[in-house]
Amino acid sequence: MKKFRFKIVLIVALIALGLYFLYPTYADYQNTKSIEKTLNERSELLKSQNPNIDEERLDKYLNQFEDSLKNADPSIKKEREKRIKLGLDLQGGMYVVLEVNTLKLLEKLAKNPDENFAEMIKQTNDVVRISEEPVVDVFTEIASRKGIRLSRYFGEIRDDDDKITEMLRSQANDAVNRAVEIIRNRIDQYGVSEPSIHVSGSRRIIVELPGIAKEEEARQLLQGTALLEFNIVKDPEFTFGVLEKVNKVLAGKPLEDTTKVDTSVSASDESDIAEDTTQKDPNQMTPEEFAKEYPLYSVAMPNPQSQTADLFVRESDRQKVDRMLNRDDVVNILPKDIKFIWSAKSEFFAEGQPIYRLYCVKAAPELTGGVITDARATLDPQNSAPIVTMEMNSDGARDWARITGTNIDKRISIILDGQSFSAPVVRNKITGGFSQIEGIGDLDEAKLLEIVLKAGALPAPVDIIEERTVGPSLGQDSIRQGVTSALIGGLLVIIFMFLYYRFAGGIADFAVIINVFFILSVLAGFGATLTLPGIAGIILTIGMAVDANVLVNERVREELNTGKTIKAAIDSGYSKAFSAIFDGNITTFFTGIILYQFGSGPIQGFALTLMIGIAATLFTQLVITRLIFDIFVERGGKPNFG
Amino acid sequence: MRLFENLNIDFLSKRKFFYAVSGIIISLGIVSIVIKGLDLGIDFKGGSEVVVAFDKPVAISDVRDATDRMGLGSVELKTFGATTENILVRTELQDLDEVQFENIKKNIESVIAQSVSDTLFSMKEKTSSTVVYTFDTPENAVLIADKLFLSGFQAGLVSKEQDNLDVIVRLGIADLIKEGLRTEFSGLKFDVIKEDKVGPKIGEELKRDAIIAIVLALVVILVYIGFRFKFAFGLGAVLALFHDVLITLGFVSFFNGLFPGLNLEITQSVIAAFLTLVGFSVNDTVVIFDRIRENLKVHKTMDFFSLINFSINRTLSRTILTSGTVLIVTTVLLLLGGEVNKGFAFTFFVGIITGTYSSIYVASAFVHDWTTRSKKKIQF
Repeated sequence: MKKFRFKIVLIVALIALGLYFLYPTYADYQNTKSIEKTLNERSELLKSQNPNIDEERLDKYLNQFEDSLKNADPSIKKEREKRIKLGLDLQGGMYVVLEVNTLKLLEKLAKNPDENFAEMIKQTNDVVRISEEPVVDVFTEIASRKGIRLSRYFGEIRDDDDKITEMLRSQANDAVNRAVEIIRNRIDQYGVSEPSIHVSGSRRIIVELPGIAKEEEARQLLQGTALLEFNIVKDPEFTFGVLEKVNKVLAGKPLEDTTKVDTSVSASDESDIAEDTTQKDPNQMTPEEFAKEYPLYSVAMPNPQSQTADLFVRESDRQKVDRMLNRDDVVNILPKDIKFIWSAKSEFFAEGQPIYRLYCVKAAPELTGGVITDARATLDPQNSAPIVTMEMNSDGARDWARITGTNIDKRISIILDGQSFSAPVVRNKITGGFSQIEGIGDLDEAKLLEIVLKAGALPAPVDIIEERTVGPSLGQDSIRQGVTSALIGGLLVIIFMFLYYRFAGGIADFAVIINVFFILSVLAGFGATLTLPGIAGIILTIGMAVDANVLVNERVREELNTGKTIKAAIDSGYSKAFSAIFDGNITTFFTGIILYQFGSGPIQGFALTLMIGIAATLFTQLVITRLIFDIFVERGGKPNFG
Repeated sequence: MRLFENLNIDFLSKRKFFYAVSGIIISLGIVSIVIKGLDLGIDFKGGSEVVVAFDKPVAISDVRDATDRMGLGSVELKTFGATTENILVRTELQDLDEVQFENIKKNIESVIAQSVSDTLFSMKEKTSSTVVYTFDTPENAVLIADKLFLSGFQAGLVSKEQDNLDVIVRLGIADLIKEGLRTEFSGLKFDVIKEDKVGPKIGEELKRDAIIAIVLALVVILVYIGFRFKFAFGLGAVLALFHDVLITLGFVSFFNGLFPGLNLEITQSVIAAFLTLVGFSVNDTVVIFDRIRENLKVHKTMDFFSLINFSINRTLSRTILTSGTVLIVTTVLLLLGGEVNKGFAFTFFVGIITGTYSSIYVASAFVHDWTTRSKKKIQF
């Protein structure tokens, strides 16, 4: 056995690794089943308690309940992220290919466009209509072929073509990045789970939205222009007063005179807040008592060390906070001229969970983003801290000077599509429309802010060039049919192999099962997506995986016929079959690579499973089955080849 | 169990007959392709496609009458899957033509006029699939956007800024179809289960990519086999592949629409099936070539003709078994895999049979004829 030790360890290790990768998929399946069961029970219960409840309300309530179930246990989310991802064709949803209209961007950027320019744009359009070549490259090439200097339309008159090309290229990239940022931001708010947004080529954005039901809304989500607003953040004193009242309402206590806001409350000491309502020091309360007394603070804590009244909320508590703030009784006591705005990105982490900020801002924006003409992330020359500079048009500059003049030392929140990206403090009155934002964590963050600020200024138009929607019922049918045919097909092959080759066939069957297991765990491990053609790829692998076994088994039978011992027959059977197995699989593998390269979406899924399948086949057939035969023969067994 | 053991069939001497058989089938296929054509899916043609599932079976002729009344021009209608509840409506158009565009624009404007009687509005911008209207006040813009949305149009505010006066309305074919069916079949409920729109650009690109992929696959195989074996073998394998692809293509063209529910249009997954069959068929061929190469080393005195026959006979058991098992799973996929996999499964099903046949009768026979004609002795 000693000489097999390395192989055995290798195989066991790989199987263990496979189990590790596949466990989340299994766990997720169990979770989904148990959540579904709980939801059904809850729904029955609600219907029996309240027979007249209308569908819409019930759905709304069940959705909320489902969310809270999912949020209650962080492992549910973690496992969901690590399970085998299902393609949109299997779970239903929407697949959209957007293209940033770089030509329109060029037209917009050009100074004094003339007939020549229009002609060049037209020629560029003819080329890029059917190719994925970057628009800027095509355009500059056409210009240079015509002997037209780019400085006639772009940049400074002294700039050479290379510099302008570089500038146009970065503008084009920028437009794509901005569009991605806006789309991502909106999708996050729309609450689509597991969206996928990625850039393909030089100007395409592929968006996958699983389980979207209202495609009309989704389209608006993707194509509209972004809303950028600047809102004043309310003073901490005011905010704490409001939060205090919210806590009282939530704790079910009678409100005192609502016009009297306790301005003595300061952010630095929470016990102050509690003083006039309870006799007990909150620091000595048990968590349960605290949650009862301060329901809001129990999930949304202000930071006692900071000078602000921003609340910090764990990701899992966000919905809870939203629900608290949207309760009718809470809405009634909130001043009408404020609103709560979430930070777009989490700034901190605690116990592995992102923490979001909740700002209380004036509801009416001071300024909207149409006035921004440019924004740039750079490093402050004085202290090399990252900053973002922005420029405004003359209207904007005038308003901005007024706003900053009257709000010195206050914070202004920069809000894109309803989420705050930053809330810098106004240091002094800013005139001339040129201002800079400081206090940014790192350059990446500055870059993000730059994109956000520019997004307010119209990006290049975005066209939908391909759009596929699969309804959820079709997705479920597809899964069922795919899995059923895989199981039946696999079973038939397994039965046939066993009947035909007896013991050797049994080993081949074992290898096929391990093979499918490897394919699935590789898909899970690399976060690849299983599509319907992917299932077809697995079915095909089942069929082809036995090919290698058939080759070997037939060869061993031939060798046995020449009168060799079983050991010698197995040895020469494997070695003689090797070149055929190898050549055959390699050529199929090549077609897999080509398919992967030239296919899109689902086809790539098929090519991927095919290639993984071939690799797994070579391993299971040449290593695993061989080892089983060797060990068997070593122990004096006489494998039956039928 | 042992089948095909110790066979000694003289495959090669019947090669002329099988050349003829292949030639006839290929010609018939080409005739079918010329007459019937290949049914390109919208993946390649570009266009819009909507699959609706009615709650009760509907007659496809009723749906046809309905779509005719919508004035969509040439519309293709099919049942989707085996049931008559699911209807696929397809048009090559992605955008409405002038007349329809104007008609729908009139509908929009009448909705606007009904909603706010004295509002002033003007058309600001118009593209092939959108119209933008400007209103006198932001309130009216919001109101109209909502009204239009509720009336089934894809309308929205151009921007969310407070002083926004513009409302954008998209005029898509798919929406027109859905709305049209909703009015025509008011008594029936239906869900849209699948909706695709492919722009002309994507269609062109996919067509180009599909051709590149197939050609590249053939070239790679020619080079690889030429390198691992001899040039003649590479040529034989590629010829066999052309043979398989042509025959399968002919079958796909011929059988398309022959039985109810059998839609064999050329989609991306059918192209995938073609490439897979290329990979699979070459696998079959390589196994036989491998045995020829091996026997050439072992039986140096045997003449090439009987050596090829000998090699095919010795590998026949394996060839039939493997093709058999793949055929089993493909048949299951064809019967139970659902509508979406049907094109793939059918193409591959035909491909396996022709691939197996061509490995035995075409590829090796060609290598034989080529080497005899060039009078070179093959050695490894």
